[in-house]
Amino acid sequence: MIPVPLCERLLSAAMARGADFAEVYAERTDFTAVTLEEDKVKSAQNGVSQGVGVRVISGARVGYAYSDDLDEEELLRAATTAAFIANARGSERAFNVARAPLPSFYRLDQHLSTVDVARKRDLVVRANKAARAFDKRVKQVTASYADSTRRILVANTEGRLAEDTQDLCRISTMVVAEGKKGERRTGSYGGGGRVAFTHFDTFTPELVAREAARQAVAGLGAADAQAGQQTVVLAPGWSGILLHEAVGHGLEADFIRKGTSLFAGKLGEKVASDLVTVIDDGTFANARGSLNVDDEGNPAQFKVLIERGELKGYMYDSLNAKLMGQRSTGSGRRESFQHLPLPRMTNTYLAPGEDTPEDILRSVDKGVYCANFGGGQVDITNGNFVFAVSEAYEIKKGRLGRPLKGVTLIGVGPEALKKVTRVGNDPRPDPGMGTCGKDGQSVPVGVGLPTVRIDDMTVGGTKVGGKR
Amino acid sequence: MNYQQLAKKIVQRALKRGAKQAEAFLQVGRSADVRVRDGEIEDLTQATSKGVGIRVFVKQRQGFVWTSDFEPGALDALVDRAIAIAQMSAPNPLNGLPDARDLGRFPDVGELFDPRVAGLPPDWKIKAAIEMEKVVRAHDARIKTIESVGAGESVSEVYLASSAGVTGSYEGTSVYLYASPVATDGTQLQTSYWYDARRFFEDLASPEEVAKKAAARAVRLLGAKKVKSQKVPVVFDPSMAASFVASVAGAANGDLVYKKSTFLASKLGERIAPAHVSIVDDGLRKRGLGTSPFDGEGVPTRRTPLVENGVLKAFLYDAFTARKAKTKTTGNAARGYRSLPAIGVNNLVLEPGTRAPEAIIREIPNGLYVTAMLGHGANVVTGEYSRGANGLWIENGELKQPVQEITVAGNLTDMLQQLDAVGSDLTFHGSTGAPTIRFRELTVSGE
Repeated sequence: MIPVPLCERLLSAAMARGADFAEVYAERTDFTAVTLEEDKVKSAQNGVSQGVGVRVISGARVGYAYSDDLDEEELLRAATTAAFIANARGSERAFNVARAPLPSFYRLDQHLSTVDVARKRDLVVRANKAARAFDKRVKQVTASYADSTRRILVANTEGRLAEDTQDLCRISTMVVAEGKKGERRTGSYGGGGRVAFTHFDTFTPELVAREAARQAVAGLGAADAQAGQQTVVLAPGWSGILLHEAVGHGLEADFIRKGTSLFAGKLGEKVASDLVTVIDDGTFANARGSLNVDDEGNPAQFKVLIERGELKGYMYDSLNAKLMGQRSTGSGRRESFQHLPLPRMTNTYLAPGEDTPEDILRSVDKGVYCANFGGGQVDITNGNFVFAVSEAYEIKKGRLGRPLKGVTLIGVGPEALKKVTRVGNDPRPDPGMGTCGKDGQSVPVGVGLPTVRIDDMTVGGTKVGGKR
Repeated sequence: MNYQQLAKKIVQRALKRGAKQAEAFLQVGRSADVRVRDGEIEDLTQATSKGVGIRVFVKQRQGFVWTSDFEPGALDALVDRAIAIAQMSAPNPLNGLPDARDLGRFPDVGELFDPRVAGLPPDWKIKAAIEMEKVVRAHDARIKTIESVGAGESVSEVYLASSAGVTGSYEGTSVYLYASPVATDGTQLQTSYWYDARRFFEDLASPEEVAKKAAARAVRLLGAKKVKSQKVPVVFDPSMAASFVASVAGAANGDLVYKKSTFLASKLGERIAPAHVSIVDDGLRKRGLGTSPFDGEGVPTRRTPLVENGVLKAFLYDAFTARKAKTKTTGNAARGYRSLPAIGVNNLVLEPGTRAPEAIIREIPNGLYVTAMLGHGANVVTGEYSRGANGLWIENGELKQPVQEITVAGNLTDMLQQLDAVGSDLTFHGSTGAPTIRFRELTVSGE
């Protein structure tokens, strides 16, 4: 990347107007992707992104400048530009940085960028074949594989020097099934993580493709969902995006400091039912959201956010931590050198409870079983969250009934969590397919959840009236 | 550096190394953005960036690489990599650059570059943002904090060279203001987001206008409640109408049409909406943020009516998809240097009607006025539409009780037919423009 003495010169230049703190962030990421559609590998591609960002903090003011040109002259210009926001008298101080030992939650024998592209191509070819063989109603298959090997270096005026290599991969399959009278249903599935390529020896493309095809075919003939309040049961795993949307974002320290989250000022208060314990864990081995160090050079942590319904803590990056008199929780993340770090989630999950999933289902007389989810979104200010349920079934007298279509769940974060009445003993992480967006920045995340029952959730549908 | 020359050299190298066809799409830009809080800079970001995407075709196989590293040695190695990686994809006789008949003179799209934006002093955005924050906070005592208030500008250049004979470039500017205040009544927090983005400084709304609009939209949501589930007339304000029109345009994607993966696939030439509905993708719109002389493959841009007086007139194509569907590209290959061309819109417009928005609302005895939505909610394959909504309840023709935690659901096929009023208040949100629209009846889910 860039030599350490150059980092130190950049730090000095960034402090020339007397700021409190400066940081150099250098990054190089190699991307590979293969996509298949209409039975043909459409393209294989490689990309390289590299650049350096210099951040200067003076009080609560932040200056940031970045460049994809790695010439010393260009980088010094970036450092000087970032320094603009400080206006005290500078000094000619020199800054030295030194490496601190780092944990390792994802050490791979071979970086993904060096794995032969032909092996990556074979995955999508196999996925296509398996999805089409699953059922003759499968009409369209899109399969893709993407990986990245990202090398980062962080050096700051507190003397920290941290370097990490973060591999990440994912296979995805999308299927369209066609039923009677041209009815079309979609299914999608995928996964991966900070894993070696051999992960796909067991998490096979066939497994991924069959699951996507199963979802698409299972939805054929689905009935319209009833609109209004109903009891819902969430399947384990990927349903964890409910937590991510309903409470996770609202516990990020920037929203707390600015007072724009409805969770601001509620530490120690009851914000969920006794059954709810929420954890954000950046140290989960090989998970998609895990980090050895965050993008500010701080080690990732295991954090209890909500314990038995009580709000215990927020997620901090270093700037918000400093301004709030707290310590970073290793939550400072950025999409790339083109972005400022923000407090973000890593792998967010609900701790298991005591009920068996069978008992939870049996406890519901009438409701909706949410087996799979599309995307979700939250307005952290009023707490409203929404997500699309891509595979849903009606529950009648404790058993699964007909498939339902067009189901959307909507709620207000803390209210929904207070209505969690059963938590299963079947914790499950998602297969590694989540990407979270905030302020226009996307980062990989993990989610997880055991089977959960929530009462009185608002279900969006197109059918109104009839018996409830 | 002469980027046009560089693009040409990359193409020449690829041809020399065995590519049958090659294309280089190069972007260069600079941008600056500031956010303020409590009358001070919160963060100030400045950047320069560049990158090139290189597409090659070798024996009907496609290879693609991209980079921001312009060192000659690195670029040469990457071109070789593109040719090598093409071997991984399947041969397809439909692959390739646009056909000669689809290329030609670029249209006159007018000025896209405003020297005033390019030459703005560094402190204009700081001053503008500080003014917006002042106006936001002064607007109503219930505005206690802000999510973000900011301003910025960018200058970008695009260079394209391809072995199909295309050589072209354009330079454009953009300038913007945004405000997202937070209002509270002690029990509830509500926010809003309002912005304006233009190519020309003189077209940009004033900081005061953006701030006032944002503040009013946040404050009026205070006290929002859920409502009972019911079927009622629903009005989308222009910003929500724009997102609805974007969903419809997404379903007019020629690739999805070919794969029968859109609810519009079999409806070309049919009446899909009332006669007062016309939707156009206007790549030539003067000073439009989505205006450019050529698309991501060097095909001249144009104006494509998608829906004319309610009748579905056209789908959108890039060169590959057009060849597959045995039709012609519409100049809708959208891309950045990091991606292959894919079908997208230029400036999407729902043509305004003649009725004032107030008149459209006044006719509703009981209904919903939507000002913000949550979730992605539109499935163009099945036509299902379901999104979280915030807004105001309409009682006897007037905007009354604020509402939240509800969803609005329907089916895009029915929703288009139900579009029974189109307002005169065309408003642009970036490159998409729409007026107020009304649906005769949609399902609102709440209690």
